[in-house]
Amino acid sequence: MNHKKFAAGTVALASGALFLTACGGGPSSSGGDFTDDKIVLAVLNDQSGIYKDLSGPNSVKAVEMAVADFKKKYGDDAVVDDIEIESADHQNEPDIANTKAQELYDRKGADVILDVPTSSAALAVANQAKTKKKLFIDIGAATTELTGAQCNKYTFHWAYDTYMLANGTGTSVTEGGAKNWELVYPDYEFGQDMTDQFSAAIEKAGGSVDGTIATPFPNDNFATFLTKAASGEPDVIGTMQAGGDLINVVKQYNEAGLRDRGIDLAVGLMFITDIHSLGVEQFAGTTFTDAWYWNMDEEARAWADRFTEETDTRPSFAHAANYSAALQYLEAVQAAGTDNADKVVDQLEGKKVDDVFLRNGEIRAEDHRVIHDAYLAKVKDADDVKEEWDYEEIVATIPAEEAFRPAEDSDCSM
Amino acid sequence: MLEVEKLSSWYGEAQALHGVTLQVREGEVVTLVGRNGAGKTTLLRSLMGLHKQTEGRIELRGRDVSRLPAHRRARAGMGWVQDDRGIYATLTVEENLVLPPRVSDRAWSLDAVYDVFPVLADRRRAPGTTLSGGEQQMLAIARVLRTGASLLLLDEPSEGLAPVVVARIGQIIGQVKESGVGVLLIEQNVRFAATVADRHYLLAQGRIVDALDNDQFVARQQDLLEHLGI
Amino acid sequence: MSDVLQYTVQGLAAGSFYALAALGLAIIFGVLGVVNFAHGAFYMLGAVTAAVLLDTTEIGLWWALLVVPLLLFGFGVVVERLLVQWLLRLDPLYNFLLTFGLTLLLVDLVKRKYGVSGLPYERPEVLDGRFELLGVGLPKYQLFVLIFSIAVCLVVWLVMTRTRIGMIVRASTERPELARALGINVGRWVTPVFGFGVALAGLAGVLAAPFRAITADMGNDFIIILFAVVVIGGLGSIVGAVVGGFLVGLVEAFGQAYAPTYAQILIFVLMAAVVLVRPAGLFGREETA
Repeated sequence: MNHKKFAAGTVALASGALFLTACGGGPSSSGGDFTDDKIVLAVLNDQSGIYKDLSGPNSVKAVEMAVADFKKKYGDDAVVDDIEIESADHQNEPDIANTKAQELYDRKGADVILDVPTSSAALAVANQAKTKKKLFIDIGAATTELTGAQCNKYTFHWAYDTYMLANGTGTSVTEGGAKNWELVYPDYEFGQDMTDQFSAAIEKAGGSVDGTIATPFPNDNFATFLTKAASGEPDVIGTMQAGGDLINVVKQYNEAGLRDRGIDLAVGLMFITDIHSLGVEQFAGTTFTDAWYWNMDEEARAWADRFTEETDTRPSFAHAANYSAALQYLEAVQAAGTDNADKVVDQLEGKKVDDVFLRNGEIRAEDHRVIHDAYLAKVKDADDVKEEWDYEEIVATIPAEEAFRPAEDSDCSM
Repeated sequence: MLEVEKLSSWYGEAQALHGVTLQVREGEVVTLVGRNGAGKTTLLRSLMGLHKQTEGRIELRGRDVSRLPAHRRARAGMGWVQDDRGIYATLTVEENLVLPPRVSDRAWSLDAVYDVFPVLADRRRAPGTTLSGGEQQMLAIARVLRTGASLLLLDEPSEGLAPVVVARIGQIIGQVKESGVGVLLIEQNVRFAATVADRHYLLAQGRIVDALDNDQFVARQQDLLEHLGI
Repeated sequence: MSDVLQYTVQGLAAGSFYALAALGLAIIFGVLGVVNFAHGAFYMLGAVTAAVLLDTTEIGLWWALLVVPLLLFGFGVVVERLLVQWLLRLDPLYNFLLTFGLTLLLVDLVKRKYGVSGLPYERPEVLDGRFELLGVGLPKYQLFVLIFSIAVCLVVWLVMTRTRIGMIVRASTERPELARALGINVGRWVTPVFGFGVALAGLAGVLAAPFRAITADMGNDFIIILFAVVVIGGLGSIVGAVVGGFLVGLVEAFGQAYAPTYAQILIFVLMAAVVLVRPAGLFGREETA
């Protein structure tokens, strides 16, 4: 429970380890084919907390699937035989993420770190990647900072970000006729960032944000927040809450009967695991932007079936993105013939990719934003659900070039 | 009816009672006299089973109660009135009266209690601690009488009360004695003790140093007053 | 004006729920002297049990309001016999630590079994929709929560003030040693009272299931608010828990309306203010040293 104390202990251990590797030579990244005759992929994410279900241990499974597929594809032609997977729990704490990343890079010989939800933790790991000159492919975090002011040569952002969520939902819902918005957001970095991005997208699309309400975080009771947001009779209330707080908002929005009053709910960030846990009835009709949906076409579904065999659950977009990132990393190693980070980066930059997750994908060289088609999704009515996890209807595909922030708007300089 | 044999008590390492032996017979009023800190209250608490670190034998009406927990001793017939009277603020006067279970057919009825203590009848619905000090003392005594206890352990019933109230309490103790109840009384008020008691034990530093009948006690009153430092 | 009325009504609805949830905490502290940190975890168990019952046996809200408290009562009895009773004679800190540890254990077990994203729950259709009167509206379910919670608090209050059991519990709460000396087997009441307090936490959990996220962590922050409620009302005081609950609900509602970000902080400002003026809380009794 005592994160601080625990973290202090790990910092002491890790800095000791750092000292040893600095003196003893440690792994070097100065060319050669393979520094240690193997590739180590490390999944660093939340293995026990609020993001456990949507990424967590099943992201490791997805990476295992990618390794298996890579080996199957190249067999004896693979440039490396020995591919290992490490995983670690960062508990969504940036200081723990920081020390775990050091440990993975220095002591576990990680060539790439994957996933890392929670923006502050992701930024800490990006900084480590830059210092160690090792790869980091973020999937779980939402901040555009990773491909903005805090971008670096070794960091890639694979699945989604706040711009994509806000732009997709804000633009399309406004263009769909809901002009007047009230935004309710948790008063911390992610919520503020999302609210700014949403406001920009809404206003660009010709709508207006009549009010914003900052709420404590975490919080259980949203009754009066919602009453207040609804008092101006907006067309739609946009909520930037996530996880348990989001479930509270949705339950209390339904309870207050706001949809019957003609006030829709748009959700900033939502995962399929949220719909699953709350029940499709509660979310029915809610619009949100998704990076990928397991049942969106045959290809996705076939992969999802394989995933389900491994895990007994349907994949979230984060799982599919972990698979994709691991696979494309291995492809880049194969093409480069080495695990040398700079050479792998050269392979990845500017590459156009189509795989089960990335549709019309491109690994943008300018800011390392991986762009791909995104989807405007609507939660199905309970009557339309045909099987378990069959929750979403894809109403529109947002083309890759429109879905993400244009490279010229980014503050990134590598 | 009460036979106490070699009763010793400790507070941690410190011994508070050293082998106290005493008796109270039926219909007898016995006082414990001694300075503050002599161990009087500890003795009553040990008899009642409220003080854990205690050794020795306590027999009530021929029955060894020294291993029984406090509530079983109460049911065996001990009625304790503690020095601050122990009136419940969260209970009404009447609830204070009916809280303890009846333990014998000597138990007073509620009507009988109200006959003897009309003031309690008037205030029956009021919270217990809204009574005056004297009324609270009446209530505390009435409460143990209503249970039908055969032995009353009274811890300074006269303390801080007006003379008329003290006299009234003396009357009641007399009445109780008539009905065959034994009374063990802690008393600093030597004059009051002399008017109600049959016998007296002098307690000093946790030991019984003298046992006197009332005549001896009256004769040595001046000496005792000095001894007690009052 | 109608805004103020609206927020008041919402505050009262939230407050009634806090009052009900804090009631068991107050009773357990009153009789056992145990600061039951696990109250939030028992609340969580109530909600999770209701969700599991709905999912597996289709036992809905109405029956759950009866069945879950009974199950939690049994669980509370087991916890008291197995764990709590051994520490009752020691410093209250020991039972605080025990119940803290128990919380971690229960939360992790529920996470292991049911994951972290939560469980679905549907309220009965009768309670869908809104109730409007004179321009003031409340979701029907919240109206139900308000009435139900007040009814339960009232029943508990009547039991405590009008029955012999209540009298004994009050006496054992106020002065346990004296109660024993008056022939009352205080120990015999300890286990059922603990079970009853746990059952009340479970009841609050069932009531929460339709309008709050049902997750293993749902009690973690909730217990902090409940502590504020009982500290404001006075530790161990039943009336205090109810009054404290309503005060916290109102402060939260007006905080959400007029100072959104500070809605939770205001609760603790209120707590600090009360403790400064009356260290034992509004209805607490000062310890006489």
